[in-house]
Amino acid sequence: MVSYAVRRILQSIPILFVVLTLVFLIARVLPGDPAVAALGDYASKDAVNALRERMGLNVPLWMQYVRFLADLCRGNLGTSMITHYPVAAQIQKALPYSLELTFSAIGFGFLIGIPLGIPAAVRRNSFVDYFNRVFSLMGLSVPAFYLGILLMLLFSIQLKWFPVVGGGELSNLSSNLRHLFLPALSLGLIMTAYVTRMTRSSLLNSLREDYIRTAHAKGLTARVVLFKHALRNALIPIVALGGVYAVVLIGSSVMTEIVFSRPGLGSLMVGAIKQRDYTTLQSVMVFYAVIVAVLNLMTDLVYELIDPRIQYR
Amino acid sequence: MSHNRFMTSCRRCFSVRTIVDGWNPLDASEANTAPSGRDAFAEREELMRKRSVVYLAFAVVSLAFAFGATAHAQQLAKDQVINIAFDAGDLQTLDPHRAAATADRATVDMIFNGLVRYTPGNQVGVEPDLATSWKVSADKKVWTFALRKGVFFHPYPGNPNGYELTADDIVYSFKRAADSKRSAYAGEYTGMSFEAVDPFTVRITIEKPISETLFLAKVASYAGGMIVAKKAVEEKGDDWFKTNPIGTGPFKFDAYEPRQKTVLSGNPKYFRGAPELKTVAVRYIAAINSRELGLQSGELQIIEGLKEDKWVEKVAALPGITVKSFGPCESQVLLFNMAKPPFNDLRVRKAFSYAVSRESVAAFMGKGLAVPIYSPAQAPPAPGALTKEDAQRAGVVYEDNIAEAKKLLAEAGFPNGFRTEVIISEMASSYQKPMVAIQAQVKRAGIDMALKVVDHSSFHSLIREDASPIVYYSAWRPNVDAYLTRFYHSDSVVKTGKKADTNFSHYGAVGDTSVSNIDGLIEKARWELDADKQVALWKEAQVKLLKDVAVVPIIRLKYVFPMSAAVDLGHPLEFSWVTYSPQITEKTRLLAP
Repeated sequence: MVSYAVRRILQSIPILFVVLTLVFLIARVLPGDPAVAALGDYASKDAVNALRERMGLNVPLWMQYVRFLADLCRGNLGTSMITHYPVAAQIQKALPYSLELTFSAIGFGFLIGIPLGIPAAVRRNSFVDYFNRVFSLMGLSVPAFYLGILLMLLFSIQLKWFPVVGGGELSNLSSNLRHLFLPALSLGLIMTAYVTRMTRSSLLNSLREDYIRTAHAKGLTARVVLFKHALRNALIPIVALGGVYAVVLIGSSVMTEIVFSRPGLGSLMVGAIKQRDYTTLQSVMVFYAVIVAVLNLMTDLVYELIDPRIQYR
Repeated sequence: MSHNRFMTSCRRCFSVRTIVDGWNPLDASEANTAPSGRDAFAEREELMRKRSVVYLAFAVVSLAFAFGATAHAQQLAKDQVINIAFDAGDLQTLDPHRAAATADRATVDMIFNGLVRYTPGNQVGVEPDLATSWKVSADKKVWTFALRKGVFFHPYPGNPNGYELTADDIVYSFKRAADSKRSAYAGEYTGMSFEAVDPFTVRITIEKPISETLFLAKVASYAGGMIVAKKAVEEKGDDWFKTNPIGTGPFKFDAYEPRQKTVLSGNPKYFRGAPELKTVAVRYIAAINSRELGLQSGELQIIEGLKEDKWVEKVAALPGITVKSFGPCESQVLLFNMAKPPFNDLRVRKAFSYAVSRESVAAFMGKGLAVPIYSPAQAPPAPGALTKEDAQRAGVVYEDNIAEAKKLLAEAGFPNGFRTEVIISEMASSYQKPMVAIQAQVKRAGIDMALKVVDHSSFHSLIREDASPIVYYSAWRPNVDAYLTRFYHSDSVVKTGKKADTNFSHYGAVGDTSVSNIDGLIEKARWELDADKQVALWKEAQVKLLKDVAVVPIIRLKYVFPMSAAVDLGHPLEFSWVTYSPQITEKTRLLAP
């Protein structure tokens, strides 16, 4: 297993290299000049040129690329071209907000999704099943930001329970949780949809297995058969796919972060695109790529841990 | 810190919950469960009781939350905290000599002063700021300013009590503003020299004299005219200063949280008196829905709105919210690329202009927000701006006449019209929406104008590459001269001009000499010392531009800022352009609900 992990890590290096090259190029293919974006259209040509020089944009493209790679190899993510804040420090500040959002959304997904999926599988093609399927289909179709706004209207404007703006302060737990609840719920409902559908189909599969018939035949109660034998096995793929969901959620969280104005990685990235802040954009994208690679690796490894039938060599 | 105050009020509502917890009904019920039997009836009863306790607790907690929200408004008024939210992802810079974004301009305006300032809320004339008086030599070349005494810069690490402003700071600041490596406004200060006569007297010499209107604009509390703390910049450097601005204004910089907010606090030593507000949080919230909901929930007091009448109507109807829309607004003009067919033909340009109805565009944008304009530079009431009457008198209003448009097109060899593809920014109110209206209008004359929508940064790059046959441009410039020079002087022609800038029409660089002599007119107006004669020359230049149809002025669009009814700005907010947002001054305050 260790050699498998090492091999996988080595394999992801060329992939990361391709990703960061693409990111570097895409950032610069976008029309729009960071210096003009920073100074506004009223700035004089001289001022724009002077700023371009300070930003290191006046050197040839290959040189910028080499500098970017050299910095990365030294573990240096660079500084923002616009605000001169170190990118690593920005990521460090943003990351807790994104992580807490993603994980609590996954939590919501499991907490709501599994209880919804079980009756749908047990009473297949009943009203409960149809209702849950429609519900989860809606969850998959409604964009996270739209759901976010609906939740805000209900819980913040009508009921005035939760704040709308910002991510709260990490050091203040109650403020932090109050700010976290709505975005986590809106993202969690999407997750719920995935988990409900997964639970249903996985449980349906395991309910058809021979050992379930055996369990029934030896006189176990329906409850024991369902929870102890069927569900346990059905949960393996669901839990293992947590990592895959996390990747999906990281993508969806960008819009949620924007709607709730949370200072997470997603808003960092979108802000960098708007301002043509190449250095921040590159480094954040590379960071995202690393997260996805790590999550995928972890998913594979977890699979082996919880399912003895699977072994990596 | 606004956030801390907000937290205090939250903590209060949480303490209510703690009291509920202290009452501890759950524990009590659990204590009861232990000895009770296991029969079904008792169990169910137990369950129901537990449930009702949970419901009760839930209801009390919700009430506590609701109480917290109303208490929040009172707390804000008591603490005098204002949260103003802009359509921005983050700040770009708080260095006043570079700040250009709406949010950044609004922030530096609270932190810095100039020698003179435009009167808050009605920024037409100037009044003393850091200078108490000034005089000018007979040849209008030497300006002498007497400085206010006892003005202190905000404290900063290395100078924890701040230090007194002297002429050295003024001279340093202007020299910095004149340096293109450190300032975006260097061009404004060429040919000017600055010296300190004594600690409280500054002398500014200008090689070529200009009118008072143009001169005082350079030393006003706006852009390059803002005075920075020499010692702070020299000790800490320009990069530090970007997010640690040190000035003399009513508010001092406190904290910056990337992509969240910049927090300013009242400067108790401000020379006009300590500000009423204790804290101003400038928040960066790019999504309009989030700003709107934040205003409704009471977390935000002033927000940058949408320049759309439907939206404004909706928000204005909300309880406790007033919507301020104010001028002078950006001018939106349509410029033809006169260097390339088909718009190198005057008849085609005139036909296009005849096909456009300003009134319809304005109506489409919203009657209360958009006003038709006839000046190709500044919109009235700015001094020197061409009014509708001026344009009519000169006979240069070509609009709203499809028959004439078709006739001219036929003469120009396009009896069936033509097709053109125009690049336009995604930004709705300032670019895309009015162009959609114009697209429908010119269609009636047979002009098929396809719109290629790109994001805003791309738009600015592409049009500077001369990539679009028509450029719809929305801008504000501090005076008519700046507008005429940068949009119509031949030196400013995009890509090819001597000082390539925003002359998208190539005016002055194409056609016969009658077109090219606009340069002389613009320069003559610039150096005219008599204000009335200067206005006459500016208007002459504008009439000429309209006669050649280099440009079709369309509308000006007001700024829209909804705010809580509790906000008292302390000024009338009628004509405000130094910030593109309601100026927050030492007199701004929050009234108790």
